Amino acid sequence: MGSLTVTMTDVNGEIRSFSDVDEGLNLMEVAKARGVEGIFGDCGGGCSCATCHVYVAAEWMAKVGEPDDIEFGMLDMVSDVQRENSRLSCQIKMSADLDGISVTVAPASSY
Amino acid sequence: MADAAELDLIENGTLADYAIQSQPNAFYAALRHGDPVHHDPKLDSWLITRHEDIAFVQSDPITFSVNKGYHTQQARGMQAEYQEILRTEGGGYFPDAIMSDPPYHTRIRKLMESAFTAHRVKDLEPRITAVVSELLDSVADKGTANAVKDIAVPLTIRVIVEQLGLDHGMENKISRWSVAVTAQIGRMQDREQMLENARQICDLQHYLIGKMKEREANPGEDMISDIVHAELPNPDGTTDKLTFAEAVSLIRAMLIAGNDTTATAIGNLFFLMATRPEIADKLKEVAEDDRKLSRFVEELMRIEPPVRALSRMATKEVVIGGTTVPEGAHLLLVYGSGNDDETVFPDPRSFDIERPNLGRHVAFGGGPHRCVGLALARMEVKVMAREIVRRLDGIKLAIPVEDIRYVPTVATRTIESLPITFTRRAT
Repeated sequence: MGSLTVTMTDVNGEIRSFSDVDEGLNLMEVAKARGVEGIFGDCGGGCSCATCHVYVAAEWMAKVGEPDDIEFGMLDMVSDVQRENSRLSCQIKMSADLDGISVTVAPASSY
Repeated sequence: MADAAELDLIENGTLADYAIQSQPNAFYAALRHGDPVHHDPKLDSWLITRHEDIAFVQSDPITFSVNKGYHTQQARGMQAEYQEILRTEGGGYFPDAIMSDPPYHTRIRKLMESAFTAHRVKDLEPRITAVVSELLDSVADKGTANAVKDIAVPLTIRVIVEQLGLDHGMENKISRWSVAVTAQIGRMQDREQMLENARQICDLQHYLIGKMKEREANPGEDMISDIVHAELPNPDGTTDKLTFAEAVSLIRAMLIAGNDTTATAIGNLFFLMATRPEIADKLKEVAEDDRKLSRFVEELMRIEPPVRALSRMATKEVVIGGTTVPEGAHLLLVYGSGNDDETVFPDPRSFDIERPNLGRHVAFGGGPHRCVGLALARMEVKVMAREIVRRLDGIKLAIPVEDIRYVPTVATRTIESLPITFTRRAT
């Protein structure tokens, strides 16, 4: 068991907090292992599907950083729910730097 | 609600009918409006046609089994004979390990995922660009080509051949093998065709097994070596090797699964450029803008999904979109219809790269079975689209549009042969 803390607000607004997260896992893997609603991770972490989309809390955005071009291109496919702080959670790898991070699961792209 | 013409289509239409397979959208619309979860008596399959119902089925891989759905569809009606031929003449009958259900599927799938991430595929872009350029340059001055046979099919085969570390110069053979494997889920082969296809698959398996033995002894930097030496981790820290049957099936899937489908997408690209000037103009406008070009490719996938429909089986009685289907029901998720669903994609026949929900299309399926090679497919189509604009102009059909034939199959919607004319773009 790791010792990093992650807070995720799921797609229904429920706040889930975990304080035993391993370093090296990405946030999509953390969310799937713990059943966080709204994170699917269809493509398995390949940055190819936008089903693990989260909004990073403003105060964490600087540490998490901007998406690269490949990730931005995927987020652009769900532009109706894309925001300035959008990231694919499979591309955010947990490290001591991110201990305490808080993200909100983005809703699915609209009909 | 369905109108009178739609009611007639629902009553008398079947996806087994070539006329409907080749021009399916009116049939799909009729079903979505009047009988969205429709039992097709000729196929004995339930056609799931609304986007939300497809998404619902995809989200539950236990109730809706890919393992049972896919393997039921395979050589349906002639299964025992098909499997026996592979056992006696093809080195074995190897069920598709990736066409399985969780939790087994999750372990197998993980192996494949690492090979095809968007970032790994990005590293292949220069090589894919070189292959595309060579193919287009080989036809550019002639002014005519068969866009499917001379361009689309050779591209997808050359790319996967390099990734697997197979031999060059086998395009024709690999193309025939691909057709033979895909025909097994197409539902349109008669017994004679099944026998011929099964023998092609025997030939394919012997070829792959030979390559696997080589890489077992002398591993290289290729995907066959990766698979034959792969270790599947267990929760307790130990690892398992793939069985021989699993390894053959995965290598076969990697060689075959992306060929026809990606080539089909490229054939569709040429067809749309030749028949809808606004799409050709749009591509010219966006070809050098990476973000917009990616959107163009995604809208191409939405408007003409290469894979028409794939299988599931209901493992219990279940209600889908208000219709009860029985345990053991064979389902076809009709992606072509889901992508044409006007409640999700307004004005679905218009080609609009600015759709705000483009990522919702189901051309690659969805859920845990979403196409694992999707990043590679997108990249091949994207590079082709960009390089077409750089090299060719004035693409037109060289035959009347009504002479274009589609492969008879329920599984894909594939243009068989596409003669075109064009000029080399002045540089």
